[in-house]
Amino acid sequence: MFKELDPILHSQLRLAVMSLLISVKEAEFTFIKEKTNATAGNLSVQVQKLKEAGYIDVSKQFKDNYPLTICKITKKGVKAFEEYVTSLQSYLGKN
Amino acid sequence: MTEPNLSEQESLQIIKQMIDTAKQEQKDDGKGWIIWGWLLFTASILSFINHYTAWVSQYFFWNIFGIASLLLLLYSVYQFLFVKKTKRVSTYTSALFEQLNIGFFISLSLIILSMNTRGVNPIQGFALLLGLYGFWILIYGAALNFKPSVIGAYFTWACAFASLYVNNFSLTMLIHAIAVLGGYIIPGYIANREFSKSIVEKNRN
Repeated sequence: MFKELDPILHSQLRLAVMSLLISVKEAEFTFIKEKTNATAGNLSVQVQKLKEAGYIDVSKQFKDNYPLTICKITKKGVKAFEEYVTSLQSYLGKN
Repeated sequence: MTEPNLSEQESLQIIKQMIDTAKQEQKDDGKGWIIWGWLLFTASILSFINHYTAWVSQYFFWNIFGIASLLLLLYSVYQFLFVKKTKRVSTYTSALFEQLNIGFFISLSLIILSMNTRGVNPIQGFALLLGLYGFWILIYGAALNFKPSVIGAYFTWACAFASLYVNNFSLTMLIHAIAVLGGYIIPGYIANREFSKSIVEKNRN
């Protein structure tokens, strides 16, 4: 039996965001946008979905009156990502 | 909004690509090693020459170095407290290095103070300083998987042991300069070259 891939993570942009965040301590929204080549609107939507799933923490700060959005992966997010990779490996092993 | 269906291979490719992108952020340009390396090297070599020419007092160049370091430290504290810089990304290694820098500075101050106020012989004091440099160099090399610094750390420690057994201040200064060359300057330039190369490659892709 193959484990079903987590639908929250099995999306191009959400997976890219999570893969990026798992490798760093925290990252600013504009950094993620630049590295994933996403549009601000689409990224906001996907970040919100990850936040609602409890996979990332999003905090708002201000610098020189400009808002900054800092994203950080949570323990739940790390666990979900690891499970996703394990499931992925089992699928790849099947082929 | 419907999303395109992802194949397992595509998922794996995304993960790999993003992890590689994040790895790029962990790279260091080596400039810190180069700047501090040349400052330490210059102070050591000038002190070595001064030992024979007696232009100024024995520790003149180290006092100048100390004042410059103190000013740099005050500037860093000011930047930290009053100029809030927001980093776009914080990696685990950069967070670790920030803490280690504080620990390194405290340990450094302890040795320098013991030399200046508690009667620790400067020859042995410089050997202890080299031992401390070696520790920081090794952690840097190990954390960034950067072999030249790992080798540089052992080289610095070898110099520290050698320095401990000399009885001549000028020789201590010469060993100190050689240690800094092998532990700071050369690995710093290699790191800088690799960093520049990785930037060129990144821009090409």
